[in-house]
Amino acid sequence: MLDAVDLTCEAGEIHALVGENGAGKSTLAAIAAGELSADTGEIERNGRIGLVHQHFALIDRLCVWENVVLGREPRRLATIDRGAARAFVRDLGERYGLDVDPDALVEDLPVGIRQRVELLRELARDPSILILDEPTAALSPGEVERLFSTVARLTQNGVGALVITHKLDEVFAHAERVTVLRRGRVVERRPVAEITRDQVARAMIGGDIPSIPSHQPTNGAVVVRVEDLAVPGAIEHLSLHIAAGEILGVAGVEGNGQSALADALAGLTPFRGTIDRPAAIGIIPQDRLLEAVIPAWSLVENAMLGRERAAGNGSWRIDRAAARAQCTAIVERFDVRTESIDAPLATLSGGNQQKLVVGRALIDNPAFVIAYNPTRGIDIGATATVHGELLAARNRGAAILLVSFELDELFALSDRIVVIARGALRGEFTDRHFDRDAIGRLMVSA
Amino acid sequence: MTLSLVLSLLALALVRGTPILLASLGGVLSERAGIVNIALEGEMTAGAFAAALISFFTRDPWIGAIGGVAVGAAVGFVLGFAATRWRVDQIVAGMGINLICTGGAAFGLIFVFNQAGVTPQVPAINQALWPLVILGILLAAVLQWALSRTPIGLRLRACGENPHAARAAGIDPLAVRLAASAIAGALAGLGGVFLALGELNLYSDGMIAGRGFIALAAVIFGRWTPLGAAGVALIFGLLEALQFALQGNIAWLPSDFLQALPYIAALIALLGASGRYRPPAAEGKPYP
Repeated sequence: MLDAVDLTCEAGEIHALVGENGAGKSTLAAIAAGELSADTGEIERNGRIGLVHQHFALIDRLCVWENVVLGREPRRLATIDRGAARAFVRDLGERYGLDVDPDALVEDLPVGIRQRVELLRELARDPSILILDEPTAALSPGEVERLFSTVARLTQNGVGALVITHKLDEVFAHAERVTVLRRGRVVERRPVAEITRDQVARAMIGGDIPSIPSHQPTNGAVVVRVEDLAVPGAIEHLSLHIAAGEILGVAGVEGNGQSALADALAGLTPFRGTIDRPAAIGIIPQDRLLEAVIPAWSLVENAMLGRERAAGNGSWRIDRAAARAQCTAIVERFDVRTESIDAPLATLSGGNQQKLVVGRALIDNPAFVIAYNPTRGIDIGATATVHGELLAARNRGAAILLVSFELDELFALSDRIVVIARGALRGEFTDRHFDRDAIGRLMVSA
Repeated sequence: MTLSLVLSLLALALVRGTPILLASLGGVLSERAGIVNIALEGEMTAGAFAAALISFFTRDPWIGAIGGVAVGAAVGFVLGFAATRWRVDQIVAGMGINLICTGGAAFGLIFVFNQAGVTPQVPAINQALWPLVILGILLAAVLQWALSRTPIGLRLRACGENPHAARAAGIDPLAVRLAASAIAGALAGLGGVFLALGELNLYSDGMIAGRGFIALAAVIFGRWTPLGAAGVALIFGLLEALQFALQGNIAWLPSDFLQALPYIAALIALLGASGRYRPPAAEGKPYP
């Protein structure tokens, strides 16, 4: 995972550690915090290193103060001094601007507040260095600002902060130094003032950001036709069509019928109306862990899921050698970074898992592709790979339905955009003439 | 029904419910620490048999009682050790322990006493029956309080919910789970002692009669809280008492049906409870 990495974080500084998914950032953080051990090398800690995890490591069914004082409970005789514990949480919260109700049950709290609880828990242990692993991945823009103002307060108090991220905006807005990790090695380390955003991005990827194939005008035959579609409770009277070699973008606020539309097209939900579509279809589902993969299975087995017949070359049994060859083809073409195709998928970073899912959907050149938030939660390099492959599939003549909650993604890829709100289409934008304001208004129309 | 009849029925309910109650408290402790405890039946059997055996040879029922508790704890320790250090599937380990304990006791009867089915009569502690009933109820209250209010209680719950987070807070989840499993074994063993030396003065094959599993149902139906489990255990005791009271009084009802009453009630309770109550999040999952 990591190879001869050295890293220092000083008191009072914000040090950004950047790199693509799978570069080894989280591993490095876990080693520094003492949760994993390194094969060789030394770690010198002046004081405690606290780690705020990417997926918060809280105990959901305990309340806030119980999580914070666990292991070092204030006592009154044999019992926990609950008054002191609550006061401790409140005082700490006031000092760092982390306002939380000490008696709230963690499982009832939204992600932004949970992160505050995890910060409080680490701060309660007086760390000299605090490592934040992808702290903004699940936060709204307001919460991100709030988080960095807390981090600034920490550094004023002499705590060093190591922020792991792949969002370059955050690096340049808040950090003093940046270290770039690529494939387990340090490839760049400089004060932020002495480096440009472009240099950091190139160091992360190890070259130029892959360029996206250009859009060529299409006038293919219609291959997907939906007439008067209705899914109870989600969609009413929806009609659309997609031509060969066309990406149809669906813009909308989450929960306005996109899932039902994708599921009906994929054949996963009962519907009324007509759907005409090719039998050969590639699906990139919206929830990777829930619908797309079995994390404990190997890459080979996951690459086969849903394509067992293709893997068996039409025979009744699975041809292991062919399945491995196909998995290798996906891994190579879609740049899935893994040590072995026999490793459990769970050992890969999210971005690399997603590349395998995208590869599985596209490798057989299906005539129709459903892509639902295909780049949610993955980094620049992986996003560029996925975008490039979707456009390449389009240029080969595939009809693609792209559902995305990111307007930038829709604008970059779509030939045509329809806006969905409350289960019906509210507007259509053709010929790549996309009006951001108009689309935004239609998204919230009723 | 006269008042005295109701009172005697309730008294019988307490006596019949106490061994289930003691075992269910053990179940609550081990499950809240993260170890599924289907070995309660085996631990009760081991406790009852060991108590009768030791009492027979020492002629001192108190040494027998302490021995029964200790053997229960040892069995619980084995379960905990298998589940933590060897990462054995906890259901499989528990089932194995149940088979070994019931089989071992049956074998021990023949090996030691040269007779199948039952031990000779041994010195008993029948005078301690009511103190033990009261001890069980007090214990439920004390454990309820300790789980929510003491550092050790908080740590035990943390290990059952998220052992990784507990580890990060400096707690050793393996040690906590091992200790909880051993204490659970001791409590189940005490339940067995209650049956063998408290109510009776012997051990006989099948005397536990599924009470360990009924205790497990009480744990679930009591939502993994000591007081809840104790309350449900006493309701099962009441059903057993009712079965005694009705036996022979209702001519048209087969007595087999009456005897099955507590088990049918446990089944119905579990059917009603399934899916509605959430067990501790990390229960049954090996750590690390």
